[in-house]
Amino acid sequence: MEFTFTEEQEMLRTSARDFLETECTEKLVREVEDGDEGYSPELWKKIADLGWLGLVYPEQYGGAGMNVIDLAVLYEEFGRTMFPSPHLSTVVLGGMTVLEAGSDAQKADILPKIADGSKIVALALTEPESAWEMKKTWDPEGVTVSATADGDNYVIDGTKLFVHDAVVADDILVVTRTKTGGNPADGITLFLVDAKSSGISVMPLITVAGDKQCEVAFNKVKVPKASIVGELNGGWAPLSKAMQVATVMLCAQMLGAGQRLLELSVDYAKTRIQFDMPIGINQYIQEHCVFLLRDVNGGRWSTYLAAWKLAEGEPCDFEVSVAKAWGSDAHEHACWCAHQVHAGVGYTVFDGVVPLYSRRGKTLQLYMGDTAYHKEKIATILEGWPAPEKPKAKPLGLWEEVPDRGWIPEWWNEFDKGT
Amino acid sequence: MDFNYTEEQEKLRKEVHEFFSSNLPSDYRPRGVGGTGTTLEQFQFWMDLQRKAGAKGYLTPGWSKASGGLGLSDMEQGIVSEETSYWGATWPGSQGIRVCGPPVHVFGTEEQKSTFLPGIAKGEVIWYQAFTEPDAGSDEANVSLRATEENDHYILNGQKTFITAPGPADYLYTLARTQDVIPKHRGISLFLIDAHSPGISYSALATLGIFTVDIFFDNVKVPKSRLLGELNRGFYHAMVTFEFERSTTGAAAGARRNLEELIEFCREEKRNGQPLLKDPAVRNLLADRAIEMELSWLQGWFAAWHFSQRDKLGSPPPEAGGLHGKVVSADRAQQLIDSLGLYGQLRRGSKYCKYEGRAANAWMSSRSTHPAGTIEINKIVLAGRGLGLPRIPAKFNKEIRAAVEGVGV
Repeated sequence: MEFTFTEEQEMLRTSARDFLETECTEKLVREVEDGDEGYSPELWKKIADLGWLGLVYPEQYGGAGMNVIDLAVLYEEFGRTMFPSPHLSTVVLGGMTVLEAGSDAQKADILPKIADGSKIVALALTEPESAWEMKKTWDPEGVTVSATADGDNYVIDGTKLFVHDAVVADDILVVTRTKTGGNPADGITLFLVDAKSSGISVMPLITVAGDKQCEVAFNKVKVPKASIVGELNGGWAPLSKAMQVATVMLCAQMLGAGQRLLELSVDYAKTRIQFDMPIGINQYIQEHCVFLLRDVNGGRWSTYLAAWKLAEGEPCDFEVSVAKAWGSDAHEHACWCAHQVHAGVGYTVFDGVVPLYSRRGKTLQLYMGDTAYHKEKIATILEGWPAPEKPKAKPLGLWEEVPDRGWIPEWWNEFDKGT
Repeated sequence: MDFNYTEEQEKLRKEVHEFFSSNLPSDYRPRGVGGTGTTLEQFQFWMDLQRKAGAKGYLTPGWSKASGGLGLSDMEQGIVSEETSYWGATWPGSQGIRVCGPPVHVFGTEEQKSTFLPGIAKGEVIWYQAFTEPDAGSDEANVSLRATEENDHYILNGQKTFITAPGPADYLYTLARTQDVIPKHRGISLFLIDAHSPGISYSALATLGIFTVDIFFDNVKVPKSRLLGELNRGFYHAMVTFEFERSTTGAAAGARRNLEELIEFCREEKRNGQPLLKDPAVRNLLADRAIEMELSWLQGWFAAWHFSQRDKLGSPPPEAGGLHGKVVSADRAQQLIDSLGLYGQLRRGSKYCKYEGRAANAWMSSRSTHPAGTIEINKIVLAGRGLGLPRIPAKFNKEIRAAVEGVGV
């Protein structure tokens, strides 16, 4: 067991922090929020040049051949600076699904374009109904938007909701139902559709984070068969792999954001003077800071354990859900604590940075499943746990139902208690 | 980054696992209160198994072979401690093993080492860590048990309280005041004392959880050869003890076993014709426990790994996992007892009792979160030493006390 990062990972962390602190300022985050696109095209170009868009793709597709742990290191820094971009949609949810399930031709066409920054992808998974039934939101049960065969084409019909980054997407990865009855995961087909296809309408929603989540309506959209990614009816497996990576990346972002909130809060507690003393001398304030530390620290290694398992290609449903179940709750609480330490200063929309983290944090907590959703996943896994192992020596009858009446063990009666 | 155990570690785990599975009777039930069982027979069973484990070197795997251990590395010790906890083995001699033995290794004379260490390693003796006093709880340096020098020995007078008593004591590992000085922690010394020295007496101080005792010292003669380490440096020496007390990989393994037992109970027990496992509140409770178990596993191994690299890495970063465990333990116990409705009140052996009364026991013992520092002290330490937040310097304490005395009354 080794709790270390490689030299390359440490370098990536340092260079990402330096770059983002200069480029992804609070000012930029606010400007992007006020704009219509949800990202900065100039910055997108710059991170393409840094290789951050192809980080986890093989070199043959213009990537850097790095792994999910490396990506998590980068996402911690994204979280720290609240980097607003369609990176998760494009690189992870779109690109990694294509990498997993796409044909050679699709991979050769799409991945290099993602890596060089010329293609943005959005994932259209959740729907008005499934988003309301929280147990189904991120499961195949929730997918009802249909794709019906029509000669060499399919016709997609229905509405997707909370589609991140659809306003700027070149392509939309649409999760459709192509078969009903039986196992809900069987019958899911993925289509990578040109966002400008006729019949698609995109409308951004107004969110607390000011990010660009959209309603995407598919009105009998005709798409060629060739745009299917992976197998007909077999789209859920590759998509869910990419979703697992995305889930861990959200954890990493919350980790980075939480770390920053901890630093800001401790610094404020040390420097803000009231009653002639730094407020951090008060144990009520200290408590908020200590809980912030707990919230942030608790999630660090559960996030990296999940990332490590993904990188090793090991099954990790349990680890991913533990990381996100803890991460989302802890992040909400971390934001709360930061608000309490900052009080009024932590409440002002234009000057305070805490509200910015708080608002943007809610999206991270909800996306790919909140705490309640992942706790239910964990409970389902626990149902399958084996019974506790029984020891093998011959029974002694010492653990028969001896009533637990008193409070004093029997040996005490025999013990020499002195004078 | 690597979260795998090595092949050698896996091999060691198998050995220790086999030791427990072949020595624990098939009708064994892990018990909550006191850990070491409430009947004399159960206590004897644990003493016997402790001796067997001692003969294997499993009690003190990190100690050298010469002093009764296996000379295992920090990480390998973590494996032994995981397996021990998984099986719910709580040794009557655990304080000697974990708390009192290590400082004897570090600060003891050759004579002290050869007198005390073999008995601990072999699992033959029971030590009490006798630190807490009526006026020295969280304020550990406020020790007033007095040790007065007289010829070739010290005379001890005073009282210890809330001393964990997992069985009849053989030895006491005790902090006593040897000098009146400011700051107070500079006048405290450590003593290794025969538990049955004339003048020592005990009385029961039962709690909602583990059994504890009061210890009274009335002109107790302790030979000078039983002073551990330097005179008046005992408080600093004892800090080493606390380090040992807090490093653990066993907690998560014990939590795993508990969770397995609880899941099994919820699988078999039905409500409204459905297993309890299908009850949403129970599922929530189980998931919470699984999350905390996993985090505790990571935290335990991170600590063990960091400790194993201490020459390179120095002291570990501030860690709030222990605090979290304390903070949520009461919630978890409450969720469990409440999920059994009226039945939650029943103790083991009562008619209609469910889950062997474990919910009631866990709930009662969860009222205490003070061992190794209260939740509040943990927060203060983390805020000060961990995050560098300011505190009022101790030199003002008396002035503040004088200023507030009577105010608001």
